[in-house]
Amino acid sequence: MTSIGTGYDLSNSVFSPDGRNFQVEYAAKAVENGGTAIGLRCQDGVVLAVEKLVMSKLLVESSNRRISTVDRHIGIAFSGLIPDGRAFVNRARDQAAQWRRNFQSPMPISSIADDMGGLAQAYTLYSSVRPFGITAIIGGVDEDGKPGLYMIEPSGLYWGYYGAATGKGRQAAKAEIEKLDLANITIREAVKHAARIIHSAHEDSKDKEFQIEMTWVGKEETGGRHQVVPKELQEEAERLAKKALEGEDDDEDEEKEKMEE
Amino acid sequence: MNHTPENWGRPRDDIYGFYDKSFLQNTGGAQQHTTRPVVTGTSVVALKYNGGVVMAADNLASYGSLARFTDIKRIKQVGDHTIVGAGGDISDMQYLFDKLLESVLIKEEYQNDGHALRAPHIYSYLARVLYNRRCKFNFLWNSILVAGYDDEKKPFLASADLLGTRFSSPALASGYGAQLAIPILRKIAPDEASVTKITKEQAIEAIKLCMKVLFYRDARSMNKYSLAVISEEGVDLTHGVALENESWKFAETVRGYGAQTV
Amino acid sequence: MFRNSYDNDSVTFSPQGRIFQVEYALEAIKQGSAAVGLVSNTHAVLVALKRNAEELGSYQKKVIKIDSHLGLALAGLAPDARVLSNFMRQQSMSSRLIYARPIPVARVVNAIADKAQVNTQTYGRRPYGVGLLIAGVDETGPHLWEFQPSGMVLEYKGAAIGARSQSARTYLERNFELFPGLSRDELVVHGLRALRDSLAQDKSLTSANTSVAVVGIGEEFKLYDGDEVTMWLEKVGDVGSSRGRTEIEQPEASGSGPTAAAAPDTMDTTD
Repeated sequence: MTSIGTGYDLSNSVFSPDGRNFQVEYAAKAVENGGTAIGLRCQDGVVLAVEKLVMSKLLVESSNRRISTVDRHIGIAFSGLIPDGRAFVNRARDQAAQWRRNFQSPMPISSIADDMGGLAQAYTLYSSVRPFGITAIIGGVDEDGKPGLYMIEPSGLYWGYYGAATGKGRQAAKAEIEKLDLANITIREAVKHAARIIHSAHEDSKDKEFQIEMTWVGKEETGGRHQVVPKELQEEAERLAKKALEGEDDDEDEEKEKMEE
Repeated sequence: MNHTPENWGRPRDDIYGFYDKSFLQNTGGAQQHTTRPVVTGTSVVALKYNGGVVMAADNLASYGSLARFTDIKRIKQVGDHTIVGAGGDISDMQYLFDKLLESVLIKEEYQNDGHALRAPHIYSYLARVLYNRRCKFNFLWNSILVAGYDDEKKPFLASADLLGTRFSSPALASGYGAQLAIPILRKIAPDEASVTKITKEQAIEAIKLCMKVLFYRDARSMNKYSLAVISEEGVDLTHGVALENESWKFAETVRGYGAQTV
Repeated sequence: MFRNSYDNDSVTFSPQGRIFQVEYALEAIKQGSAAVGLVSNTHAVLVALKRNAEELGSYQKKVIKIDSHLGLALAGLAPDARVLSNFMRQQSMSSRLIYARPIPVARVVNAIADKAQVNTQTYGRRPYGVGLLIAGVDETGPHLWEFQPSGMVLEYKGAAIGARSQSARTYLERNFELFPGLSRDELVVHGLRALRDSLAQDKSLTSANTSVAVVGIGEEFKLYDGDEVTMWLEKVGDVGSSRGRTEIEQPEASGSGPTAAAAPDTMDTTD
């Protein structure tokens, strides 16, 4: 890497002669190795899902949750350094609470994305801090039921998305998300897609055990609250996901056989 | 003579010359806090029964003796099995309900760790807030009742006032209700042991009777109220319940009101 | 020692996205003596090996009580653990004061996790140099959490930290399926056996070097030290290290083998 040894990559908030902030780029590297996280913005709400790699069988499966609730109607999934993600979520919670104190109404998703994007950007400006080592996917529904989905990178850059993916399996996940007609499906349907996408994004690191964690929020489906997807629905989604992937493998095998013929 | 509070106990200007107020810094006078409630709600009454608690409070907010607002909800549901009723200053009540409790609830919910605040915890929190404010001499001018279930899943009912005073009893009432409703309620719930014999229907009936008596005799009350029944299934909270069997016939027997017999 | 230009402070990422100062802090845990924790359906247990700096000195405290339902074992810099445990006591007391509720274990653990994270993102600070095992009971039952200087906290059925803790972890991985149904005493015995596996060669568990702590549903946190430990050691039976003993087949004692190789990389905070 050309950056190493030049001295321009040793401190945050320093430009290299060609106009890059290396510390921000390195922070993004911390994200690239994290478990895959995705968000789907559907007609009636948002689904968030993460691939949770199980590092030890001694861990308590039902604990150690990775998707956080920020306010009743907002959730954040992230990939990267988990402690950084927790700190980021706590700041988002403070912002959402402050909005309620000021306006006595739930914070719009676009506003919290704007605030948190600003925060992430501020952490690239000073040598006394380092950027957040996470990419965060913020999802929720506004008071009128309109779904919102945003993805914030360590640089502070953020966009609104129909479907967003980050972490190790983001490329594979993105390819799958692009096939979906997100504007015309419900979150109940999207839960099944989300499980399948996380499963297929995991393909490359097959040897490692993992769990899927999924949450959803929709005005009708969850009463506007960000909640964990019900157990039965998640199990059904995972069963279908595994079946779909096995099907794909069979197809591939068949194709191979044909080719060989 | 100047009778405003910041002049109490100070030398008179007409005799001793202008009083140097500069030590009061930039406040332009002594710091003053609320000294009386403005828009007020009246009694809250509640009674335990053998499977929960019944609570009621009318829907009136008075501005002095003016019946200013007639659709005010003074009972709030907090979580699955807890309710809070408030009397006294309505704006302070709204601050307690809509700002403080709402924020506490959201913070509790987003932890998503299987824990939830129940009635004793909410009660403890509110009593602490009231006491903390009284220590600053900046009262939240309310009396509150909290009802729900305790840690042993037994009915819970307790009160706290603007001083942070805590009190618990199987039958509780604030404001005018403390004078008029408590004697009625204590007839069927004289002690904690008697609660096991009171059915839900009996409790609702007793509370309804209290609301009627209070409407008859409390000039700051109205004939429409919120009624909350806590049972194992959760909270059944209805606003705008109309007073039943209202009859002013007895008024004739009241000395100084009806026809004079003596 | 090998050095690189990215390890001077905790606000510099390496080109791979690592923060070396935090990783070095994780190494400090391994300098401390071992501590083991495990949970059943009703109890949480902590056991720890104490060290004495010199023959005439006292043994270093390894287990700290936080509240009647909560306590921790430490490995690494003891002064840092005291700072964190004082903070946890404050959190615990304010929960009782404000809400009249013993603080849920996960909440107090998350509080120190957030506190520790700040030190990994701010110049002029250093990460805490201590690992903690926090055992406690709340309304949702007994819990065991591991805290790391990175600000990472994870809930475990059984966990071990400190010097040679890999051997103890191997023991836990082989036996954890038994833990849920175990009685209080059996759980402690399993904890001590795991701890015994982390002993250096020719060392033994003694009442002087071993701490035991138990907390359970309806049972307050109780720390056993000194003579009180003897009864526990008697239940264990063989309290000597098996390292270097050839007559007993204990492949994990060598720190290698398939189980050890598949062991978790607890330093990895990225999943």
